Amino acid sequence: MSQWLVQTAWLIPCYPLVGMLLSIAWFPAITRRTGPRPAGYVNAITTFFAFLHGVLALPAALHQAPLSLYFPWLQVAGLDLTIPVEISSLTLGAMVLVTGLNLLAQIYAVGYLEMDWGWARIYSLMALFEAGMCALVLCDSLFFSYMILEILTLGTYLLIGIWFNQSLVVTGARDAFLTKRVGDLFLLMGVLAIYPLAHTWNYDELAQWAQTANVDPTLITLVGLALLAGPMGKCAQFPLHLWLDEAMEGPIPASILRNSVVVATGAWVLVKLEPVLALSPTVLNAAIAIGAVTAVGGTLIAIAQIDIKRAMSYLVSAYMGIVFIAVGAQQVEAALLVVLTHALAMATLMASCGSIVLNNITQDLTQLGGVWKRRPITGLSFIAGAFGLVALPPLGGFWSMLKLADGLWGTRPWLLALLLLINGLAAFSVTRTFGLIFAGDVKPMTVRSPENLWAITLPMTFLAGFVLHVPMILQSLSLLPEWATLNTDVALMLTWSSIFGFSLGGVFYISSLVQKPIQLPWKALQDLFAYDFYTPKLYRSSVVGSVDIVSRITDWIDRYIVDGLVNLVGLSSIFGGEALKYGNSGQTQFYVLTIAIGLVITAFWASWSFLSHLTITTQAISLVTGN
Amino acid sequence: MQLQYFLVLAAALFCIGIYGLVTSRNAIRVLMSIELLLNSVNLNLMAFSNFLDPQAIRGQVFAVFVITIAAAEAAVGLAIVLSIYRNRDTVDMEQFNLLKW
Repeated sequence: MSQWLVQTAWLIPCYPLVGMLLSIAWFPAITRRTGPRPAGYVNAITTFFAFLHGVLALPAALHQAPLSLYFPWLQVAGLDLTIPVEISSLTLGAMVLVTGLNLLAQIYAVGYLEMDWGWARIYSLMALFEAGMCALVLCDSLFFSYMILEILTLGTYLLIGIWFNQSLVVTGARDAFLTKRVGDLFLLMGVLAIYPLAHTWNYDELAQWAQTANVDPTLITLVGLALLAGPMGKCAQFPLHLWLDEAMEGPIPASILRNSVVVATGAWVLVKLEPVLALSPTVLNAAIAIGAVTAVGGTLIAIAQIDIKRAMSYLVSAYMGIVFIAVGAQQVEAALLVVLTHALAMATLMASCGSIVLNNITQDLTQLGGVWKRRPITGLSFIAGAFGLVALPPLGGFWSMLKLADGLWGTRPWLLALLLLINGLAAFSVTRTFGLIFAGDVKPMTVRSPENLWAITLPMTFLAGFVLHVPMILQSLSLLPEWATLNTDVALMLTWSSIFGFSLGGVFYISSLVQKPIQLPWKALQDLFAYDFYTPKLYRSSVVGSVDIVSRITDWIDRYIVDGLVNLVGLSSIFGGEALKYGNSGQTQFYVLTIAIGLVITAFWASWSFLSHLTITTQAISLVTGN
Repeated sequence: MQLQYFLVLAAALFCIGIYGLVTSRNAIRVLMSIELLLNSVNLNLMAFSNFLDPQAIRGQVFAVFVITIAAAEAAVGLAIVLSIYRNRDTVDMEQFNLLKW
């Protein structure tokens, strides 16, 4: 039975697709009378089946070799586009994570979207995401990964743009689409350029090729950088990070998904491409640099945000930056572990943030406060998510960071220092968010703040429970290091950096020792972080500005020079007609003159060969003079 | 006396006729210029028939026809001028420019 389930695991992306198609029936324009709620229930059920399938198949897949299936898609000339599907414990595990998080997010949405009529659209898009992510982890080909990433980019556009009557939603969706698209297009360049080199797009064969490949270092560096650019946009890495901030305009259930798993799609591709990227040390260093800049910048920006969702989204960028660092340092397993622990912890954090937002209305951290006494479940879930995110033993974030730090210990100690800094800053950031929401005085917006109904609270507590159980899951998969080989120095440093961050955040934001709102001595620096290094201005003055100017210039050239040249032909013929008609003077004598001149010219032309040979002889002279 | 002299004289007469045809403002003078043209043609025909074809003198036959047709043409021309005059009270060629552009 379970063997059969493993072999049919490729069906898992099909369940949510069915749900997506079924939910069309409850679009407000189609079902006009009975409301959109069944769309949500149908999708939750299909997601549950997908989740069940994954969970039941996983134990069998743990103890056997990866299963490879091939679905023929297209064969033209020399190109064989067969869809390779790999069903292994890793891909099944990833699908369980995706479908599980999606199931919880969909149940969460049942509560969160209580007062919304757009269920069919939201749920169908969440199902599209689920299907896309499951297909991404299943498919073992760079080419098809690219296709799925593009579909998901379109899905992001539509999902962020759910409430399209809000202007910020429209601009946010636009930026998310274009920014991710730029990354995807660079990825496409890399995908196309790697085929002539490796003659395959299958990740396994690419890895095999990379082991013995002997290619021009400049070439492979460029290809590697292009392959890096795709995940860079997907994972909201610097400088393609603004979209995630603006994507927080979408509904919270979608944000739960996005922050936990959608951004991880890029990380998945990056991890799969690690053997190719490793061919060029420049690319690895670039990955580390991008990850480090994003991680430090993201945590610093997160600390300066006053929007509860944005304070989370920059942490997502930061943790994806840690994944980039891990891949750059060739710590693939650590990268996957970071993705797993971050997904669960961030989903918990987003769920509890959404729970706060739903019945406090405001997202402004400066207007929230003092809800701990009345919102203990949300608060505890937030704490569980925060502890699971940063490196605090014995929770998941600690083990993933430990694995990464352990790998960096011998080779790149300065990166380890950076990791400690990032960890401390992330701890400070989540403590600050916690303190501003739950501690301090009750603000006008939080005077009455009841706990939410079950459909919100249940998924949130489930997520918190999963976060707390991550170490046991890791234990059962024997992914935890042995006590004997544990690098206690690194473990202690990580723990201390977290504790340092937590306690500093606690002193500043939970205790009443410091006057709030906290002002840095340098206002400009605080604004720099709060406004995300002024990235919108940066975009507008660099890429957007130059593209805008160039497009205006080309538009002008098209409008006035290209069109003008063609119109000039028409205009000149009109002008010619208008001017030449005055040749018809109406004077008969003028016509006669024209005929006479024409005749003379024709006569000269016709007899030119004769006239040109004419010579003036004495006889002719005498004829003229009369002698 | 040579053929060329006749031809040059006919050509000169033709050119004078063309000049008068193009420049005259009086419609009758235009008709008179046309007569000059026809006469220069007749002169050519007569010269050619005399110098080149003295036996069959086909040019003289042509000239007779041309004189006949010229008379008829002058009659029709004068009739046209008269009918225009009846309508417009003038024979000034510069007033007859209604059919322009």
